[in-house]
Amino acid sequence: MRQISERALDAASAAGASYADCRVINRTVQNLTVKNGVVAAVELFEDEGVGIRVLVNGAWGFASTDKLDAASVEAAARHAATIAKASSRVNRVAVRLAPAPALVGEYRTPFGRDPFAVSLDDKVDLLLRTDAAMARIPQIEVRECSLEFVREIRHFASSEGAVLDQTIIESGGGLDATATSDDEVQTRSFPNSFGRHQVCAGWEAVEAFDLPGNAERIAEEAVALLTATPCPEGTMTVILDATQAALQVHESCGHPTELDRVLGHEAAYAGTSFLMPDMLGSFRYGSEHVNMTADSTRAPGLGTFGWDDEGVAAQRSVLVDQGVFTGYLTSRETAAVIGQVSNGAMRADGWSRLPIIRMTNVNLEPGISSLEEMIATTEHGVYLETNRSWSIDDRRLNFQFGTQNGWEIVDGKRVRLVRNPIYSGQTPEFWGSCDAVAGPAEWQMFGVVNCGKGQPSQSMHVGHGAAPCRFRNVRVEPSR
Amino acid sequence: MSGDDELLALGDAALAGVAHGDAEVVISDVRSELTRFAGNEIHQSVAEQYRHIRVRLIDGGRTGVGEVRGHGDDAMSLAFAAAEESRRVTTNPDASPLPSDTGGAEGFVAFSDATDNATPERRAELVAVITDLAGAHGVNAYGALSTATTTTAIVSSTGLRRAATATQASLVAVARGADGGGYASRHSADLGALDVEALAHEVVDTCDRNQGATAIDPGAYEVVLSPYAVTDLLEHLAWTGFSALAVQEHRSFMRIGERLMDEKVTIRDDARTRDIFPFPFDDEGVSTQPVTLIDRGVCAGVVYDTPTAMLDGVASTGHSLPQPNTWGPLPRHVAMDAGDTPWKDMVGSVSRGLYITRFWYVRDVHPLRTVITGMTREGTFLIENGVITRPVKDLRFTQSIVEAFSNVLQVSRERMLELGEGESGVLSPWLHLGRFTFTS
Repeated sequence: MRQISERALDAASAAGASYADCRVINRTVQNLTVKNGVVAAVELFEDEGVGIRVLVNGAWGFASTDKLDAASVEAAARHAATIAKASSRVNRVAVRLAPAPALVGEYRTPFGRDPFAVSLDDKVDLLLRTDAAMARIPQIEVRECSLEFVREIRHFASSEGAVLDQTIIESGGGLDATATSDDEVQTRSFPNSFGRHQVCAGWEAVEAFDLPGNAERIAEEAVALLTATPCPEGTMTVILDATQAALQVHESCGHPTELDRVLGHEAAYAGTSFLMPDMLGSFRYGSEHVNMTADSTRAPGLGTFGWDDEGVAAQRSVLVDQGVFTGYLTSRETAAVIGQVSNGAMRADGWSRLPIIRMTNVNLEPGISSLEEMIATTEHGVYLETNRSWSIDDRRLNFQFGTQNGWEIVDGKRVRLVRNPIYSGQTPEFWGSCDAVAGPAEWQMFGVVNCGKGQPSQSMHVGHGAAPCRFRNVRVEPSR
Repeated sequence: MSGDDELLALGDAALAGVAHGDAEVVISDVRSELTRFAGNEIHQSVAEQYRHIRVRLIDGGRTGVGEVRGHGDDAMSLAFAAAEESRRVTTNPDASPLPSDTGGAEGFVAFSDATDNATPERRAELVAVITDLAGAHGVNAYGALSTATTTTAIVSSTGLRRAATATQASLVAVARGADGGGYASRHSADLGALDVEALAHEVVDTCDRNQGATAIDPGAYEVVLSPYAVTDLLEHLAWTGFSALAVQEHRSFMRIGERLMDEKVTIRDDARTRDIFPFPFDDEGVSTQPVTLIDRGVCAGVVYDTPTAMLDGVASTGHSLPQPNTWGPLPRHVAMDAGDTPWKDMVGSVSRGLYITRFWYVRDVHPLRTVITGMTREGTFLIENGVITRPVKDLRFTQSIVEAFSNVLQVSRERMLELGEGESGVLSPWLHLGRFTFTS
């Protein structure tokens, strides 16, 4: 890999690049799916290539290729320079990079057992046992469970002298049980929706999910939802489970703190942000219970690594401090615009994509309450579990989320299961109404495996640590 | 970049080494470039090229899949080795067999030399048409211009042998002023056919008219939806309801033979029409057939791949995604039939309502009932007594698509080719709907 990056950087320099970096990536993915009792798909994917980013005349160019011979790599580097020169004819403002040390090192995801050393037979066996447990509930129409394992070997080198090698390991799995009736379809998922729960860890993480041990319970819940009472309607207290809290953090804190959105880089696609630079340090984002961080050092989140994709070291940054907005996710280019240095949030979806600002592990830090205490001190409200529907405006203010499951709470007790719950609000008002966050014992690292952003589209795996949390005076209703 | 024949020969050579069972080899060569702009500057411009190989092996009731991107001369052997390892652990004796060549191979393919030969310099020139006009109006332009060429070849041991090379050019732009923005897009197989000047004027004009929006109460409104907005509705119907698997699993709204929508609504999938990125075959290599999905408001049909067709005892309509999969077939060339109203006349028939330029972040709330939610964005206007009177702030809607399509007052004569969020082509008219519910 080092030989490839040296060739690429030399060719970029010869083509006029004032700065260049190169990423050589080899990615292996195993994806196994069991559906309705049969091994529906076992897909094994190998991916390898190189992406070269250059600055010429103050403009960016990027080219990638899956051909790793010397001539192809050098041609890609020259093409990146040609692209940059074409862009520079339109541009009036030269790109400026915030300083960053040129680092050299190696990083490897810590794990107990290499998931690629576990046989496919053992993986299939786990899924078939999970499916069999769901099948004990005959009203389930569709049973599906899956596992995914990723190994990504990344080599990064820059014209400033950085040389960084990383091996990232991800393990994930999940199940979905779908029950149907003439006028209703209900799906319950475990441990999370979106197909699976995934972390940067080894096989031990999947074993800890205990998919077979939870499958029958989840299937029963799907069936119960078919005849559950519709969610109550009105303004009331909402308690989110940790998985839904994680998604709420993703959509309403993670995205609006991406500085490229603030600067308009995503205005035509992913959108912008309501969090402007003049609000740093003073804007009341949430209540004093709300503390949010971006922390790429925090295992086992999907945003955990040694260095980001422009060679900046993993680190912890405070985004919201006791409710006050204090920080962004940044890159070297965007940080320079606001007079800062990068906090290491540049990530790319593989070798063929340009690094852009992405969430690392954006976390809601634990509080001092507990789910039990929150329920016990709620007069009337709902406890909502597992995301089903999510939508938020392009500035990340107006949101509406639905969950798979809801429990109505009356006088401190869960009194009944409710179906099709929706809650909605405006981001600062919503987080401003947060009056409790559960403590470290209930805090868990979840993730999103399908975060879309960028053109061409990039799908990123990002982490979110969260715990159950409570909000007052929230608009709640059933979907109709 | 390889041609159709070269990829077919590569597939043929790979198949020659298969000793047992059936095999399918899918090879795609992709060359794609994109120039992105923000604040009237090009801030990202990228190029990628790669070969993707997917091998499916079926033997003894087991199906295995191996995929490789990159890896040079070893790529094919790596893909076969992965597929063989995968096949060893699967158990699906009822899995569908590989399809045979059913003919109909010579459909029209969207291809353009102008797109295939596009350079970074040419894309920068076209982007400058937009950024210059935006700058002259004192607003900022944002967006992306992409060009792509993809050659796909599918060969199988059952005699199927298909290949085609297609191009696609897409231009999306947002203009933002001090207090509001506009949106426009154009898509075509042919970069030369994109009317960049018209797009530039449309996006800047919408931006100019959308300054200083004021709030309006949520509630049910009569609406005129532009094709950008209609595309979202059609795409969600395609995802949640027009698949045979969704019907078989009882999660589709489709009840064949029942009238669920206004008789002015006819929706088809047609991969052969030149209007929607025509492509002759699906990801199994089966010829893609035109399917009428909604016929004058009546649920008429759904699309099939080989597994769902086997279950229903019918022929595949050629709408498969890569097999095997758990998602089912998908219509990727959806069109709503045009009506007879010039779109510019639609607003004139609205006494009080909203004109919606586009929707944003549309997500399913209750797929069986086709309930979706999303926001309006970059151009929501109040219509009073037949004229647009002022821009209004963006609104959230929560609405059943089927209910909205059961109250269609007018369908425009004109249609536009759009790319949905799933990047499939959708041919959409303007729609005048009697009622659309905005919730906040």
